[in-house]
Amino acid sequence: MGASANPAMTTNPYQAAAQAQQGAMGRTAAGLTETAAQGIGNYQNPYESQVVGQTLRDVGQQALKAQNTLGAQASAAGAFGGSRHGIAEAEMAKGYTQQMFDQAARMRQQGFNTALGAAQADRAAQLGAAGQLAGMGQQAFGYGQAIQNQQMQQGAMQQAAMQSLIDAARRQYGGYTAAPQQGLAAMFGGANLTQGTQGSSQTYQPGLYDYLTLGAETAAKVYGM
Amino acid sequence: MSGGKGGRSNKEVTMPKFAETVTQQGIGLARDVSGLGYVPYYGPDVAAFSPQQEAAFRGTDIMAESFGMPTTGGAQYMPQAQTFDGGIQGYSSAPAFEQSVDQLAMQRPGQAAYLESFTVDPMTGQAGSRSGARQPVALEMQGGRKGK
Repeated sequence: MGASANPAMTTNPYQAAAQAQQGAMGRTAAGLTETAAQGIGNYQNPYESQVVGQTLRDVGQQALKAQNTLGAQASAAGAFGGSRHGIAEAEMAKGYTQQMFDQAARMRQQGFNTALGAAQADRAAQLGAAGQLAGMGQQAFGYGQAIQNQQMQQGAMQQAAMQSLIDAARRQYGGYTAAPQQGLAAMFGGANLTQGTQGSSQTYQPGLYDYLTLGAETAAKVYGM
Repeated sequence: MSGGKGGRSNKEVTMPKFAETVTQQGIGLARDVSGLGYVPYYGPDVAAFSPQQEAAFRGTDIMAESFGMPTTGGAQYMPQAQTFDGGIQGYSSAPAFEQSVDQLAMQRPGQAAYLESFTVDPMTGQAGSRSGARQPVALEMQGGRKGK
């Protein structure tokens, strides 16, 4: 739908929302059981063993030099190979060995801590990104909803206008077909105006008795009766 | 009418000519109009959905499809809208009305015929057998000289 209107748009907001939601849910779900230790391996220095080994060799070289110096000092004192020389060498070796262990342990501890910190930071960043992705998905969904609502509103306005046209046509048709009744009503309205225009006429035809009475009354007047 | 002393008294109620004319014409018009019958409307009743609304409907399908939910699959629920003169797009109730009338004539032909006998035949224009103009008349109250 949208791609045809905008060739640059390859996905619709709902697809984007669904993909974002799936991604966010997947990463968040994985984070429920995952620990930072699982990611440490990804951040450990691959050259750590070489660095530690080199450091041990350096300490070994120092130990060797110190042993030679100790031997020369013992020779100069005429005590080379003696018990005191032996004790001094043993103490020196013990010290250098301890130094080697300490340095190796410190370096490996530092490497572990660095990797652990990186793994923790990475995990937090990924979970944060998952949350952000979920938010962006929600935003994309909102875009889709807003567009759809706009379409519905404008579409409803257009439909309402069309309905108004239809209603107007229906009213006109109703007026057309009701014209005879309208005419009838108008005619009866006019007929009502004629009420009160009725009149009456009264006529009287005299009978025989009327004439006899009239004759008697006339005779009485003439003869003074 | 009354008689006094052998004479006859006659009283007549009269109406002006124009009033009697309009009364008779009105009654005649009413009789004819009563036979008109129902005049159906064949135009649009309900406006069709607009393209914007159709787009929104498709959007709902796309939304559902994007989240793996069931969609209409493009199925149409409403019938195909008709285009009337003037570009009006909508639906008419006329087909459903005609179907109901036909159904009545088929299921209850006697009643349908009785119903139609009161009004004009919509095809021929002839007055129905029971229309006002064809109602039987037996004049029984036409006393006096004018009623003969």
